[in-house]
Amino acid sequence: MNKTVDQLTSEILALIARGPLASSSDAEFDALARAIFLFQYAHNAPYRAYCDRLQRPVHHWRDIPAVPTSAFKDFTLTCFPPAQAVAEFHTSGTTRAQCGKHYFATLALYDASCRPNFFAHLFPDQPLPIWSLVPPSPHSSLAHMITAIGGSFVPQLEAVHTPVCIVATAFHLVKLFDQGFRLPLPAGSRVMETGGYKGRSREIPKRELYHLITERLGVPPTHIVNEYGMTELSTQFYDETMLIGRPSDLKRVPPWARVLIIDPQTSQEAPPGQPGLIRIVDLANLGSVVCVQTDDLGVARPGGFEILGRAPGAEVRGCSLVAE
Amino acid sequence: MTTSHVIHSLVAAAAQWLAPHSPWRARAVAADTGFSPAMVEEIIRRTFAPLTVAAFEQLLAREAGGRQELRGPKLIAHFLAGNIPAPAINSICFGLLLQSHNVVKLSGRDRVFPALFVESLRAVDAALAAHVELQDWRRDDRTAARALLARADAVIVYGTDETVATLRQLARPDATFLGYGHKLSFGIVGGGWPADLAVSAAEDVCVYDQHGCMSPHVFYVGERAREFAARLAAAMAEYQQRIPLGRLSLEAAAAIARLRGAYEFRAAFDPTVAVWSGPGHVVIFEQDTTFATSCLNRVVFVKPSGQIAEIAAAVRPWAGRISTIGLWPLDGRADALGAHRVCAIGQMQRPQLWEPHDGQPNLAALLR
Repeated sequence: MNKTVDQLTSEILALIARGPLASSSDAEFDALARAIFLFQYAHNAPYRAYCDRLQRPVHHWRDIPAVPTSAFKDFTLTCFPPAQAVAEFHTSGTTRAQCGKHYFATLALYDASCRPNFFAHLFPDQPLPIWSLVPPSPHSSLAHMITAIGGSFVPQLEAVHTPVCIVATAFHLVKLFDQGFRLPLPAGSRVMETGGYKGRSREIPKRELYHLITERLGVPPTHIVNEYGMTELSTQFYDETMLIGRPSDLKRVPPWARVLIIDPQTSQEAPPGQPGLIRIVDLANLGSVVCVQTDDLGVARPGGFEILGRAPGAEVRGCSLVAE
Repeated sequence: MTTSHVIHSLVAAAAQWLAPHSPWRARAVAADTGFSPAMVEEIIRRTFAPLTVAAFEQLLAREAGGRQELRGPKLIAHFLAGNIPAPAINSICFGLLLQSHNVVKLSGRDRVFPALFVESLRAVDAALAAHVELQDWRRDDRTAARALLARADAVIVYGTDETVATLRQLARPDATFLGYGHKLSFGIVGGGWPADLAVSAAEDVCVYDQHGCMSPHVFYVGERAREFAARLAAAMAEYQQRIPLGRLSLEAAAAIARLRGAYEFRAAFDPTVAVWSGPGHVVIFEQDTTFATSCLNRVVFVKPSGQIAEIAAAVRPWAGRISTIGLWPLDGRADALGAHRVCAIGQMQRPQLWEPHDGQPNLAALLR
């Protein structure tokens, strides 16, 4: 029996309400994921065409056909008329005509999931004011997320006497530090940084950036957390660093999501510990597609997954010119 | 040492590679080149078969203006790049023909072939082989580069435009400098193409796993382009059976998966796009004639276009960086597109020894 959007929304919200550090059994996740898949198959025409082409039966959530992030650029991937969208997020770094677009009929699921998730990973001890260096923009999912968690945009970081949480893109921080910026923050302050994996060419390695954050902002590595998110998803993933009290690249997966690592050569799940392309099943993506194939490389670890930077010297370099 | 002596030693060394039970061939096949063993065998044929007395004599006739005895710079520095052996080995041969001392900085992507070639030459003519010195260092080691360039009367560089520019700056102002940057290639197929043309095209794409500057990224097909794409895919699948794709790094495999995935999704809903793929081949048909660069490793685009003017507009962003156009039928219609070389489809990866590389004569600038 196909469930309605309201029934599905309520079930997803119930799962989100369990909290980002809770778990969900495979059976319950599977039931909900496949119900969402059936709903999306029925209402999302380009996705239905793709599934029909593949002709692969979906017996388990692992079978749900994954949509490449590039598809958000080429198609309108909605389960509702896009004219009814209350929000439209665009991927960055490309012209408007060529950017990926993610439409939302409601931000209820997005907001319900992002706030507890951020708070769990950045404020395990106590909440702090959130200062964002990300300029507000109606089409930026990151800017919206920051609003949803109660962050305020600060065009310029200024001295402060009580601890704060800074939210910024890695790109912006690197620019700031290149200009010589230095502002020691009070003890207890923390930094959430994001991006840098998107274009597959990180400005500087994570360790180097974190070293600079410590040097210039006085924030120790135990208080720096990377966030992995994207326009095409509703859910974000964070390093467990502040949860365990020491720096870690491991990102936990909340109960309403699953992360698969796909071997690029076989398109099947890679054996644990073997790197591959990150595929995410995000139940909060009810209005679009629940299973997204990213362009990012990662590896599964006990308890979660890690993002990988680009392997040095691994690009194909014959004498054939390859455009980046 | 006479030029004739040098030629005969080089040809004798080459013949050793092609002989039955050649130990050089065996060692190359067993080495970690990243290519499949069958591809290594194919590469050896393509690298050493062209090294004949007749070919060297053609080269001299065309570039040395009738001179029988060649002299070149005292010391030539060769900076190698990529993993295609022929340009590297030819560069060494040319340097030896010129009676120069040759110091060769190995490519980070091929430490096998040039070293084995020099060893095979040493077995045939130790005195000649003594004029080749191989060096290896990290690509960003400026100290080592500077040290070599200070000694070099001539410099031959293969690499990215950035590498060529950097080394040109560091070379002595009085040194002769020949730079070969990265290039790309493509094919043009006119109407009425024969069924077996796709087999020749498949060879052009697949050999060297598409890593060479002469490897085509795109075929522009004037008529029945989608059918050509299907045939090309079938021919590439057959090629894979004979000569499999080499080992892929994670990044290389991910690049293919990303590109293929993006197009496969589009193809489900967009009738102007089609994808054929299997182990060792991806063919993407796309109505949009904008030039598309491949992520290589046997990923090729087929686009419908019979208009030279339209193709010219599509490749204009790559002006000056086009190595080879494979053309069917072979006539003069592609001459104005500015490629260094126009040849038959199936011959894209078979330049003659005496053909200029990237439009530059191989010896002329170095003759003293």
